[in-house]
Amino acid sequence: MSLLTKPPVTRKRFSGISTPFFPWLAARLWHFIGAVSVRTKILGIVLGLVLLLGIVTTLEVRAMSQRALTQRLAEQSVSVARDVAARATDLILINDLYALHQLLEETRRNNPDVRYVFVIDPDGAVLAHTFGSGFPAELLAANAAPVDAHHHTVALVTDESTVWDTAVPIFNGQAGLARVGLSAASVQATVRTLTGQMLLTTVMVSAVGIAAAVLLTWIVTRPILELKTAAEAVGQGDLQQQVRPWADDEIGDLAIAFNTMTTDLARAEQERAEREHLRAQLLEKVIAAQEEERRRIARELHDETGQALTSLMVRLQMMNQQCPLPELKPQMEDLRDGLAETLDNIHKLSMELRPSVLDDLGLQAALQRYVQDYNRRYPVQVDLLVVGLEEERLPPPVETAVYRIVQESLTNIARHAHAANGSVLVERRHGRVRVIVEDDGIGFDPQQVARNGRLGVYGMKERAELLGGTLTIETEPGQGTSVFVEVPL
Amino acid sequence: MKWIACFCLIILSLLIGCTAEPETAVIQLSALQPVPEASVTAVKPLRVAVAAIISPQGTADSYAPLLNYLGAALDRPVQLVQRRTYAEVNELVQNGEVDLAFICTSAYVAGERDFGMQLLAAPQVQGQTVYHSVLLVPADSRAQTMADLRGKVFAFTDPISTTGRNYPISLVQQLGQSPETFFGRTFYTYSHDDAIRAVANGVADGAAVDSLVYAFAIQREPELAAQTRIIHQSPAFGMPPVVTGTDARPQLVAELQNVLLHMHEDADGRAALQQAGFEQFVLVDDADYDTVRSLELSVNNQP
Repeated sequence: MSLLTKPPVTRKRFSGISTPFFPWLAARLWHFIGAVSVRTKILGIVLGLVLLLGIVTTLEVRAMSQRALTQRLAEQSVSVARDVAARATDLILINDLYALHQLLEETRRNNPDVRYVFVIDPDGAVLAHTFGSGFPAELLAANAAPVDAHHHTVALVTDESTVWDTAVPIFNGQAGLARVGLSAASVQATVRTLTGQMLLTTVMVSAVGIAAAVLLTWIVTRPILELKTAAEAVGQGDLQQQVRPWADDEIGDLAIAFNTMTTDLARAEQERAEREHLRAQLLEKVIAAQEEERRRIARELHDETGQALTSLMVRLQMMNQQCPLPELKPQMEDLRDGLAETLDNIHKLSMELRPSVLDDLGLQAALQRYVQDYNRRYPVQVDLLVVGLEEERLPPPVETAVYRIVQESLTNIARHAHAANGSVLVERRHGRVRVIVEDDGIGFDPQQVARNGRLGVYGMKERAELLGGTLTIETEPGQGTSVFVEVPL
Repeated sequence: MKWIACFCLIILSLLIGCTAEPETAVIQLSALQPVPEASVTAVKPLRVAVAAIISPQGTADSYAPLLNYLGAALDRPVQLVQRRTYAEVNELVQNGEVDLAFICTSAYVAGERDFGMQLLAAPQVQGQTVYHSVLLVPADSRAQTMADLRGKVFAFTDPISTTGRNYPISLVQQLGQSPETFFGRTFYTYSHDDAIRAVANGVADGAAVDSLVYAFAIQREPELAAQTRIIHQSPAFGMPPVVTGTDARPQLVAELQNVLLHMHEDADGRAALQQAGFEQFVLVDDADYDTVRSLELSVNNQP
């Protein structure tokens, strides 16, 4: 069909040396054949072969039988004509026209294929014939035989059927010529019946072929379809899939290979899961250790160093009040200011490391304190909204994780986002904690950040996933950044 | 892919081979018209009847050179007319439908009596103008005389044949029998050579035939001599004559007689005579057929 609708393409294909016609045709054929199901292919092959065989055989047998029967008819025409000529000789010589007529009629009656018999005298006049009241004028000149001929046979096309007309000279032509016409109608009828029977057989064999093909298709495609279903299940993560090898053939081998593959996959997956579990455990321990270490250092700084510096501060205060030398007073003021600043820094460092308020008062208070401090220290205005944490504190690992994620996010905003505003939402709802940190900054390309191996974002993700939660970052250059975290409780 | 193309070509050629038909004009078998008449020839042919002494095909073969010779001599086409029985030929002669007739002796006797049939000449064979009736039996038959053929199958040649019917019946009558009771069964062959063949093939247990025809037949088909045996020969009868038609013009009769009587004088004529089994034609007299006449009378007047 496409050949008809795209003649320019066809012409190009024919003329192009680099793309010969047959490979192109093969590709087109494969395009159509490949598009149908295996069931249709098998059905097509079986049906095609049966029909091809049936039709070719029918045509061949038809041609052969037609040839053989026609030859027999021609031979019969000769034998009947010879017989008539022999038996008519005396009747013609003694001018017994009635007996001659009887002979012709009998010949016609006794031989169903004989359409006509007639005898013409040496002068070409019809002596006797079997046509009844008249005679077909064209027939007289349609065949002739030399007086010394054995016979002369021609196939005449008549308005009824093909007629094999044989002319036999009677008594060497001295008594005239006998003409016998044998109709090919019965031959045609036989050939038609034969052809019909063979076509009927072809149709019946085709029906059997269709049934066989359907069965064959079922047998062949059932294991394939099972494999497909199993492969889809494996694709969705079900590695326990095993298929039954139906037969000891290629498809059976495929099923065995498939089963081996899923078993190997399942083992690999199990090993991977174990490693992952170990890794998570290790990570959890590392983080826990880190937090513990931070807490210890923070407490050390606050309790030991802070206390020592505070007592130094008090003693410096007292020294300043009791100092008799006025010229030392400015130096002591400077010393006190430096000390106060160091104390403040230590306090901040302690807060950064591990705010004791997180352990003592909970996430909400700690975040409020952190955001307050943040707003004071950075030129970014951050709003904090905490919902659902008023009544019950979250489990300590979740509190720590959420705190650290918010801390990391806000630190990133302060360092990289060039943002003017930010917001933090922490919401507890339906047994989950949802955290959203947004800014109106310059955003970034997440893929580039991932490529650069920035540990900050990776650490946030790890913390969320350790708790069975998720962390998603939505950002684009110039579009700000949103960090979504969900952690189940 | 090439083999697909080849395959398609083969199928196509098969299909074309199947559908090829001879291309000729269609003949309307059902369109019947009056039977075409033979064209009437301008020249009136010389019509010659030969009585069925031998079978029609044998007659046509044997007499063809003779008739051709007559045609050439008279410068006219010659038409051979044959009939199954002697009586039919006699009718043709009586009605003037033939100009010349080669007939049997008893047919002449009957014709001469009934309508004054005219003798023209008679052939001479081995210097004689007489012939006989010979009684034949199959070579392996034990019959020695006609008496031995009682209750057997007997073949007559023609109802008015001298040698083929009248003479054997006279033999039966001499035994004090009639053929109807004497023979088991009889039939007519309507020619002498067929009667010889009937005996040779064992279809008949006996037959009486013209001695000239028998001699001629065994000369042509020697196996007939081995298959048949002559057990009796009749007295001599006058030779079967040549007669003229009733309405034949005297000039034609004279011309015909002249040609016949002199044809042995040239080579073509001798060849034609030899083909017919004759030496020459001679004049004969009506009295030559008196023995035939008396035989016929005695046979047919028996109670």
